[in-house]
Amino acid sequence: MKNIHVWICRGCDIGQSLDLAALEKVAKAAGHRDLSVACHSHDCLCGEAGAGQLAQAVRDGAKALVVAGCSPRFNADQFTFDGCFTERVNLRELVVWSHPAHNEDTQMLAEDYLRMGIARAGKAMIPEPFRTEIDKTILVVGGGPTGMTAAAEAAKAGYQVVLVEKEPQLGGWLKRFSRLFPKQAPYRELEPADLEGYIRRIQADKRITVCCGTTLEKVTGAPGQFDVTLSGPGVSRRIRVGAIVQATGWKPYDATRLGHLGYGQSPNVITNVQMEELAASGKILRPSDGQPARRIAFIQCAGSRDKNHLPYCSAVCCRVSLKQALWVRELDPQAQAYIFYKDIRTPGQYEDFYRRVQEDPGIALTKGEVVSVEAAAGGNLIVHVNNTLLGPHLQVEAELVVLATGMTPVAADGEAIRRLRDAQAVIAKGEAGAQWDAAQVAVRELAAHEGTAILNLGYRQGPDLPALKYSFPDSHFICFPYESRRTGIYAAGCMRAPQCTAASRRDATGAALKAIQTVELASRGMAVHPRWEDQSYPDFFMQRCTQCKRCTEECPFGALDEDPKGTPLPNPTRCRRCGICLGACPERIISFKDYSIDIVSTMIKSVPIPDQFEEKPRLLGLVCENDAYPALDTAGLQRIPHSAFIRFIPVRCLGSVNVVWIADALARGFDGVLLVGCQSGENYQCHFIRGSELMKTRGQNIREKLKQLALEQERVRVEELAISEFHRLPQIVNEFVEQIQEIGLNPFKE
Amino acid sequence: MASIKPSLEFKRDLVEFGANTFNQCFQCATCSTVCPLSPEKDPFPRKEMLWLQWGLKDRLIRDPDIWLCHYCGQCSQHCPRGANPGETMMALRRCAITRYDWTGISRRLYRSVWWEVGAVVAVGLLVVALFALSGAFTPARMVTTRVAMGTFIPVHWVHISDWVLASLLTFFLLTNSLHMARLMLDGSKPPWSVYVRQLKVLLAQALVQAKWRNCEKPNRWRKHFILVTGYVTMFVLVMFFLPWLQVNGPRFTLLSWLGYYAAFAILYYSGDAMISRWRKREEMHRFSHASDWMFLILLFLTALTGILVNAFRLLDLALPAYLTYVIHLAIAVPMLVVEVPFMKWAHLAYRPLAIYLKAVKEQTRELEGAGRLRALPMATGISAGIGAPAVYSPRSARWWIRFGGLAGGGPSGGAPSRRFQDESHANQR
Repeated sequence: MKNIHVWICRGCDIGQSLDLAALEKVAKAAGHRDLSVACHSHDCLCGEAGAGQLAQAVRDGAKALVVAGCSPRFNADQFTFDGCFTERVNLRELVVWSHPAHNEDTQMLAEDYLRMGIARAGKAMIPEPFRTEIDKTILVVGGGPTGMTAAAEAAKAGYQVVLVEKEPQLGGWLKRFSRLFPKQAPYRELEPADLEGYIRRIQADKRITVCCGTTLEKVTGAPGQFDVTLSGPGVSRRIRVGAIVQATGWKPYDATRLGHLGYGQSPNVITNVQMEELAASGKILRPSDGQPARRIAFIQCAGSRDKNHLPYCSAVCCRVSLKQALWVRELDPQAQAYIFYKDIRTPGQYEDFYRRVQEDPGIALTKGEVVSVEAAAGGNLIVHVNNTLLGPHLQVEAELVVLATGMTPVAADGEAIRRLRDAQAVIAKGEAGAQWDAAQVAVRELAAHEGTAILNLGYRQGPDLPALKYSFPDSHFICFPYESRRTGIYAAGCMRAPQCTAASRRDATGAALKAIQTVELASRGMAVHPRWEDQSYPDFFMQRCTQCKRCTEECPFGALDEDPKGTPLPNPTRCRRCGICLGACPERIISFKDYSIDIVSTMIKSVPIPDQFEEKPRLLGLVCENDAYPALDTAGLQRIPHSAFIRFIPVRCLGSVNVVWIADALARGFDGVLLVGCQSGENYQCHFIRGSELMKTRGQNIREKLKQLALEQERVRVEELAISEFHRLPQIVNEFVEQIQEIGLNPFKE
Repeated sequence: MASIKPSLEFKRDLVEFGANTFNQCFQCATCSTVCPLSPEKDPFPRKEMLWLQWGLKDRLIRDPDIWLCHYCGQCSQHCPRGANPGETMMALRRCAITRYDWTGISRRLYRSVWWEVGAVVAVGLLVVALFALSGAFTPARMVTTRVAMGTFIPVHWVHISDWVLASLLTFFLLTNSLHMARLMLDGSKPPWSVYVRQLKVLLAQALVQAKWRNCEKPNRWRKHFILVTGYVTMFVLVMFFLPWLQVNGPRFTLLSWLGYYAAFAILYYSGDAMISRWRKREEMHRFSHASDWMFLILLFLTALTGILVNAFRLLDLALPAYLTYVIHLAIAVPMLVVEVPFMKWAHLAYRPLAIYLKAVKEQTRELEGAGRLRALPMATGISAGIGAPAVYSPRSARWWIRFGGLAGGGPSGGAPSRRFQDESHANQR
């Protein structure tokens, strides 16, 4: 028999607004044969005296605490006790701060939240961490400035590092760049690359094993237990690592596509990468005749911010051209540099460098659209520019033209490669039919991905990180840099986003820290971002699995592999505990110790439904706990009222909502179900990438369910909301309640 | 279409004329927006800043707009990059003066302080030498018992010299002005009727600096205007009434009162300008080229010595009066010789002329445009499209700042700064 202690806090207006005696009665009534419920109230549970009382209750053998007071998002540490499950009932933000005091509906709302809390506490168990042997070595893929920095930083933090570089030497692009634009105050003079010193320090570090001329043949396993097969010069060896930093860098945009800017038409039109080599030689001599070039035109955004080429800005080309212009002037005081730009982008303090370059009288800049570059007499070139600040059309004669081309990532799209391989497998089977035709089309479309794999992961969902846009890896790059959709593998440097060396090094440090977090948390059986330190993990009741593969397909993080029959093979250290598998499983065999189909269903069923004649509708709100639930809290904090007919249950992600909950709620007599998640689509905001998108696709199942129950489609509504849109949430709720009242109450009421 | 020819030398040259910050300009157009004089079409000084960054010498020395600026300094005050458009325009004017001058003297004077000082000293010594040659420094001529100016130096000698000098300076100034006009017209041939019709602009500018009155700092126009009345009065007195001025003994006539007015006007306002330049009190006085100092110092000393001559004469101190008179002319003459045709004072001709020529060119273009309109009714839309890719209007922008600010809205969503609001009230006034 489980022993639950309910503590109701009287602080923060709760005592003044609600009938606490009635609440205590409700709490005690929630007990049953397997559950004994004791109930107390206190003036201030988060104070010292209150905390002491709770601790005493735990010492006295309470297996679960139900703390009814403020939102679970506050004072979490205060109400966490070893060996005891704590359920928080949000009477403050969701009830007394957003509803009128001494009101029948408010009181019913508080009572229902209390019942739901007791129901959850009765069912939930304390998670036991998944412990396994963890290797804490960090593998860094790529030996450029990013990779070297990641290795050095991880080593500095005390971790063993294996640094893999496919070229025979470390250094990456820096090997070819001898002078860089300044990276520190006062941002005035060019600085040397100082590659040799850096490489020496890496090689001297005992914690770093450098493997040059080496690629990854195979990576299997999971964070803390990656088995990596390295293929080096003449040798192939296996190592075990705990986490991976991918810093595979960039390659310049293919300038041969820039024929309209003269590339390939004249040898005197070169790219900025070629210009680096030319300037490094100490003299700017024209490729065509070896004569010194004195008038040099730089064309910015050559193939960048252009929908026919690279639609994005590569962030560094402006600074590179400014640097090269300055360099040219240093080498030859008679030289002039003309820079044509769409916008000069020198973010942050680099503005000072822009000013420095502007000070040089030999450098002239203007905004304009470069239309064409044509050959003139003597190997010179005429640059035609439109819409300049100097006039509507402009032409300038130059002896050398430098195209500032952008960066493309050296990365592979794991999901695309997997689709390609699946299609190839279908074709190999050779069974004609619609599937075979579709596979043929897929193979044609995805042909470019053939042979691009870098990490060669042995994951069911593909051998590399999934890409989002322009083949950069998918993660929420603003909120969660370095993250990828493969736990324990972090992207850094120009393969993550175009950036300069200084930013790449910051990236490298961040990614190294992320890798360290992974191995450390894995060693304690805890989840990584965003459910940081969560000790629960999904449990599969395999006897009932039908091998439908929904969980293995839908897991956004590729946590589940498959055996040949299609049975899921869980990898708990890859798992982010979002519960999307739980939402996906039609057999309902996946559960967490503190979050399962049964727990939420019990919570739903604990709410008494007023009969039809009371005219009090009941709505269920399943809200994402990352954005929508905090938004509710904020609305409460702002005292924005919402209808008292809705009961909210926070869910780990909208993707973790199993359709059965909705069916249970409607069958029980709830009049409508509101699902609130994060924005889906290309600019998704979902912390678990695909949760709200999956809920949309599962909508079909929900509609079928509604049809089966002969209920109106409008009774289930899905909304997307950002954490900052707290003012919208009460509006959505009130509108939904009005709509339900128009449709009429659920006929399934008891 | 010919390629533009950026000139590194021209940019380097401008540094010597006092422009060394123009490269900082990043073309935000704040300068043209805040300028109270900048026209709607082709506003300055933004385009001049960019032309200079590209070293477009040919465009700049043909540009009348540099003379449209009266250097109130608002552009420099509001420039977010410290590019000092006001001082850049000033430097362009200095440079332009040297380019209009066909003799090359101006260029030497502007680019070297030693040349400038040397020229002033040389001409000054020449004046002293002329006195000596005329035998003025002999005891017979220097009557010590009473002040006898006419004996020391016969007044008609001075008067004739005045006319000779005036003719010489007019010759240089006129030929330079013609050279300037040829550059600015740049091959276009306005009909005579337009020249005649726009004469009013020339007169208004030459006499009362009409354009300047649109400036938001009326005080400066007033000071300059009083100074101009001082010059003009003095010029007329010296050229036509010298015999009635150069007299002995205390005789106060209308003419002498006019002379005192002119001398004190010049003394006061040149002194005021020097103090302002010394203290860098006003925006247009923050940067001072050697030529600016030289002009003010000579002007001030000329007026001061002129008054001293008078004072000694009235006090009946003969020798001091004679010597101060020599010194007075040894300052005034070099000032006129150096400044009027070759240096800063040439703006008395160049500025009205540039404003006049711009008006002439604009009216000519309007007439031509109207003619084309009749001839090719279909083509106008296209030509307008090509000619004006982005019509930029500083006046409408200022209107927006003024009224958009009061309405509390705007493209950036926020209310404009208080500074702009305050100025907008000044605008309305």
